[in-house]
Amino acid sequence: MHTLKQNKLAIFIGLFPALVIYLGIAIIPIGISLYYSVMDWNGIGKMTFIGLDNYSRILTDDTFWLSVQNNVVIMLTGLVGQLPLGLIMAMLLNKGLKGSGFFRTVGFMPVVISSVMVSLIWGMIYNTEYGMLNSMLAFFGLESWQQNWLGDMKWSMLSISVAYIWQNCGLYMVIFLAALQNIPDEVNEAAELDGATGFRRTLHITIPMLRSTIMVAVVYSISNSFRVFDLIQVLTGGGPAHQTEVMTLYMYNSAFMNLRYGYGSAVSILILLFSLIVITIVNRLGREKDA
Amino acid sequence: MNKKTPLFKIMAYTFLSLFAIMNIIPIFWMIVNSFKEEQEYAANPFSFPATLHFSNYTKAWEIANMNIYFLNSLLITFVSLVVTVLLGSLAAYFLARFTFKLRGFTYALFLLGMLVPIHATLIPIFLIMQKMSLIDTYLSLILPYTAFHLSLTVFILEGFMRGFPKDLEESGIMDGAGVFRIFWSIILPITRPAMATVVILNFIYNWNEYLFALVLITSNSLKTLPLGLANFVGVETASYTLQMSALTIALVPILIFYLLLQKQLVTGMTAGAVKG
Repeated sequence: MHTLKQNKLAIFIGLFPALVIYLGIAIIPIGISLYYSVMDWNGIGKMTFIGLDNYSRILTDDTFWLSVQNNVVIMLTGLVGQLPLGLIMAMLLNKGLKGSGFFRTVGFMPVVISSVMVSLIWGMIYNTEYGMLNSMLAFFGLESWQQNWLGDMKWSMLSISVAYIWQNCGLYMVIFLAALQNIPDEVNEAAELDGATGFRRTLHITIPMLRSTIMVAVVYSISNSFRVFDLIQVLTGGGPAHQTEVMTLYMYNSAFMNLRYGYGSAVSILILLFSLIVITIVNRLGREKDA
Repeated sequence: MNKKTPLFKIMAYTFLSLFAIMNIIPIFWMIVNSFKEEQEYAANPFSFPATLHFSNYTKAWEIANMNIYFLNSLLITFVSLVVTVLLGSLAAYFLARFTFKLRGFTYALFLLGMLVPIHATLIPIFLIMQKMSLIDTYLSLILPYTAFHLSLTVFILEGFMRGFPKDLEESGIMDGAGVFRIFWSIILPITRPAMATVVILNFIYNWNEYLFALVLITSNSLKTLPLGLANFVGVETASYTLQMSALTIALVPILIFYLLLQKQLVTGMTAGAVKG
């Protein structure tokens, strides 16, 4: 047994292929990104070291800050829109009502569909001429409410947020449902004996029991909000006039549309930094409440 | 549990139903209209089709190159999945069942991948692929798909394998089996339940991936389903009903897949989400 567990050659052979692919493609490139980010480079010509110039240029670009702002909107949409809705759904599904299985199945469905497909479907809903939303408004005689949902500066970000909620709400629903089902029955029975029922029990017993799950969901939702790309790229491409651009799109455009690879790499490093900072802050806040 | 008042039930069902309707209507509306003629759709987007125009589907299938995209997606998804699961389960086995100096570090390294947004690596990966002349090949997608899903794969399988009783391998050693023999004939078969979860998750993630495909694939004949569809809808703006047929064609298989395997998919994605 001893010899087998210490078989160094076998361990090496077993781990090596996975590690090579994983390090080579998922980890080392982060370092390369960091290296490119201090370079002025169009991908073909000479690479010139320019220090933090890319960063200072990014941080003084209004379009970048517009994209940061939109990332914040997406983040809040997740936190304020998806999480509470997912939690309410989970609590209702946990009541053992008839047909819960059906509602869970339907609720989780959008999570499985690709973001591209979700965008294309919502693109049809928002279509100005024949889209479902405008047609429906016309059907109810509310022509004056019709909008150019994706093309209008006022509405575009809101339209995207609705599609974003639609896409991911079901994920939080099943996460919370799994956590609720793990709460032992005794807790609920004890609460009932103490006279805590209905809303009060939810507020004082159930939510605190879910605290750690809620924290995980918050962190997950935030890191997801920094990764949003497909949905917006397909739906609006960041338009009109950068009104729906997010950091990932800003990076994609800088690097692959304008061929500024150094600049784009600096943006990608900022995305990584921003998301790490926000997540660290949230984790801190979560822990402080514990103490 | 507690008694449910009729009022509570009415409110609960109203809420649940509204949510379900919101989820179903867009898809239902799209499928209904995919059977209409263009003029019929323009005249009334809410009526049921007078006759079912299945010709939309044959037309969409051809114009949108759906057969090519389906084949590409299947091939890339399948190959990446096999490589990920093979390498990932092997790595998970050594991490779970062996003790060596860098074990903790290696494990942490694999987990790190779940925190890294792919965007931070996209530009270097593009340039590496370009240097290796791999742009616009199947391999340019298979490699990143494998690399980025190794984390979750190792994580889920390692956790599962670690729970096996310690004397499990001993009978194999008695019979004189080597490490890899034990892995293949003893460990892998009992890892099946976790393996199923990992396979389904990898399938969904690979099947739905868009950003790498967008950056690394340029020729039409190599496009995957999400990329091809996005492209088709961007170009074929003349006929909405044709777009809807193409989308329905792509949607139906994944919905069937989901309905058949939903239990495993839900557990997997919650595990992936919560631990990722």
